Amino acid sequence: MAGEQPPQVAGTRLPGGEYRISSAENRALCEALLTEPAADGRAHEIYSYIATQSGMGVTVDGLLAICEFDAADGPMLGSSNSRFHSTLMTEVTYRVSGTILALTRKQSRKLGVMDVLEYRLTLESESGEPVLEVTNTWILPRRNLT
Amino acid sequence: MIAVGDPLPGLRIESVSPEKMRQLAAVLRDPNPIHLDPAAVARLGLGDRVINQGPANLAYIINMLRAAFPASSLLQLDARFLANVFGGDAVEAGGRITFVTTETEGTRVGCETWLNVDGRGPAVTANAVLLLGGRS
Repeated sequence: MAGEQPPQVAGTRLPGGEYRISSAENRALCEALLTEPAADGRAHEIYSYIATQSGMGVTVDGLLAICEFDAADGPMLGSSNSRFHSTLMTEVTYRVSGTILALTRKQSRKLGVMDVLEYRLTLESESGEPVLEVTNTWILPRRNLT
Repeated sequence: MIAVGDPLPGLRIESVSPEKMRQLAAVLRDPNPIHLDPAAVARLGLGDRVINQGPANLAYIINMLRAAFPASSLLQLDARFLANVFGGDAVEAGGRITFVTTETEGTRVGCETWLNVDGRGPAVTANAVLLLGGRS
């Protein structure tokens, strides 16, 4: 378990993988989100988060385990910043890669000792053209240190 | 004609549906029980209703932006997740225009946006940049 310093995980590369948004999955997602799918093959832009998370080659629980954090301890998504270089489309296979940027220990009045995990995920076409870059942060309360 | 300070038409959901959370969990392959089982939420001391997926809350903001600017492309979206949305909550996505610039590729529009929960305030805030009349 973590001591006074958080685990040194900055620079860790995630396994990565591929993600393909099927038309059927996009339609089901849009229905769950109370909207209509685009008629021209564009995927819902929330796939910026979903496709990168799903294709990063490790589950969120696995990502947190790299940080020596148990998902049962209540991680919280803090932020998600996306840069779209081109339009996300259905029925296109994308490559996903990712890197942990930082794991920073902080003291919160509300949560006590916590770590802030920051990692970047990128999506590119099969030919290597950049499509999307997402930087997410998760708040990891270190309840056993508080 | 759009101008800085203009409000965006709000998008209201009168009751966030636990059934839609279940559908979304299946699409996302997200088995986290806090989206499915009120007892799991209670065990974590987070309340007694299922909790909506964070990406769904952000997606309501995106839906609001798509309705406001149907012929646009999203270039940037910087979101902060501030609070949970629970099953049965009434929420409203809204926003206002923060900048408008005309460039060779089209018109860039900046927006500050939010998803407010009735009686509790913002659950998500996000700054967005859209391109109007640009790339397909």
